[in-house]
Amino acid sequence: MAFTPKERVLKQLAGEEIDRVPCYSGMGNVTVAGLEQLGYKFAMVHGDAEMMANLAATSYKLYGYECAVVPFDFCVEAEALGCVMNAYENVAHLLYPTIKEKAIEDEEMLDKFPIPDDLANAGRVPVVVEAIKRLKGEFGDEVPIGTYFLGPFTLGGQVYDLDKMLKYAFKKQDLISAMLDRLADVLIRVAKIYQDAGADYITVREMGSGTDLLSPRLWKALIKPHLVKIFEALKEMGIPNNLHICGETNMIIKDMNECGADSMSVELKNDVAKSREDIGTEPLIFGNLDAYKLLVVDPAEAVEGAVINALDQGVDAIWPGCDIWPEAKPENVKALVQATEKHGAAKWFRKK
Amino acid sequence: MSERTDELFGKLKQGVIDFDEDGVIEAANAVVDEGIDAVEAVFNGLVPGMEHVGELYEQQEYFVPELLMCADAMYAGLEILRPHMTRKSLGVTGVVVMGVVQGDVHDIGKNIVKMMFDVAGFEVHDLGRDVPLEVFVEEQLRTDAELVCLSAMMTTTMVGMKDIIKQIKEKNPNARVMIGGAPVTEDIADKFGADGFAEDASNALKDAINMLTTLKKIKDEADSA
Repeated sequence: MAFTPKERVLKQLAGEEIDRVPCYSGMGNVTVAGLEQLGYKFAMVHGDAEMMANLAATSYKLYGYECAVVPFDFCVEAEALGCVMNAYENVAHLLYPTIKEKAIEDEEMLDKFPIPDDLANAGRVPVVVEAIKRLKGEFGDEVPIGTYFLGPFTLGGQVYDLDKMLKYAFKKQDLISAMLDRLADVLIRVAKIYQDAGADYITVREMGSGTDLLSPRLWKALIKPHLVKIFEALKEMGIPNNLHICGETNMIIKDMNECGADSMSVELKNDVAKSREDIGTEPLIFGNLDAYKLLVVDPAEAVEGAVINALDQGVDAIWPGCDIWPEAKPENVKALVQATEKHGAAKWFRKK
Repeated sequence: MSERTDELFGKLKQGVIDFDEDGVIEAANAVVDEGIDAVEAVFNGLVPGMEHVGELYEQQEYFVPELLMCADAMYAGLEILRPHMTRKSLGVTGVVVMGVVQGDVHDIGKNIVKMMFDVAGFEVHDLGRDVPLEVFVEEQLRTDAELVCLSAMMTTTMVGMKDIIKQIKEKNPNARVMIGGAPVTEDIADKFGADGFAEDASNALKDAINMLTTLKKIKDEADSA
């Protein structure tokens, strides 16, 4: 029986058997080729639901990449809480939006910052909602519709000064923990809004919390409890999910696994074979391909070997370790999909 | 060196390592009050402290929050000692322009490198973060800086460095450009035409300390000759 990408992705997240590993992502995966095909500028798509949906659909249409994911930036939740985003509309080259005005300036507000009652209509949340609905209507029976938000700590670094966040994580842990708990509540509400719009799976991107930045001790004490809370809520809602962390994660993979997500995603810096030794074969681990060098710089011929290597290490889905950098070469993304189709059963440890 | 001097330098060093700002401030004030050489206090107290912090970071005993707190402690001491550094600390003068390139708002690595330039007594023009490419070029011309340091944490913004380097080199072939940040590799530094690179805060710290140590050695040798 042939699976559609949607069946393959969602059955796997539900713990059911599938034919081969899928090639997709829970993060940004649009390419310049997609932008050019539509005649869009990257800076213009973040606030327009129609453009967002059209662009998100291109990676499946162009390469057979097995998902459609919105949004493409890291500012949606921060904006909903009052931050001001810079989309770099007047810059010639492609840049990801950043936060230019923080929502929280005053330390006193960390554990009592205002949260809009109507989150569904705050900032660009309605744009993402509308984009999800459009994608669902366009090919929602065939392709899984994914969305993501930042984890509480990474979101904290968007809404408040990151330097201070990092120092207070140490000096004023209770205060930061109270802030993260409040942010976790916001994210749980946003997840429900996205689920109601039709999202098939959600990736929680606690990107800025790997051990390049925080100690495993601090991760366990400060980051983990709030992720546990979020994944308990997502489980109760019945929305399939993933926990993604960038950078070095081998030292925290056991704690990540205990957060209760349906799956985890890691980047190249994670030695997946070592992770398997630490947490066994049961958890779903996605990854861990180089989202920049392999797809932008390397020749397309290099891709197949990288896919085989990831499968040999023990991944359950071919995911780039971060957002695909939009200047990815179309032939490399195609090669990624093709190599997964070719080796995704034979080289997958669950099928061997 | 007297026992008292040793004791105070030890306190400065340990204060930095323990991110004990109050301890560092107390020791730095004592150095000033007791007329001990401020330059020696920086290089035999604060800098060895940061050096040890770099080692702890490398051993994964310390992480970024600890590094930031140690840097705060070091700055607390430097602020007190700097007005009393009557001679050019290393006998070298230099003008540096530095900043995080546009599209990137992460400046931890840049700040750590800046700290070491401050210690060395360089004239630092810090452009901050999310700096448009042309501002680097303009600022280099305006200040006639010998060195321009560009930082980026994300691959997405690193790509912009290439144009900045090209423009700076066209306008002033003598200016040196160093680049740094998580996605930067030696290979990329070469391809972009940079003169030097540091891949992360820990390496930047190590490289900066090496640079200082070398300069100090040259200075000491020149003094004793």
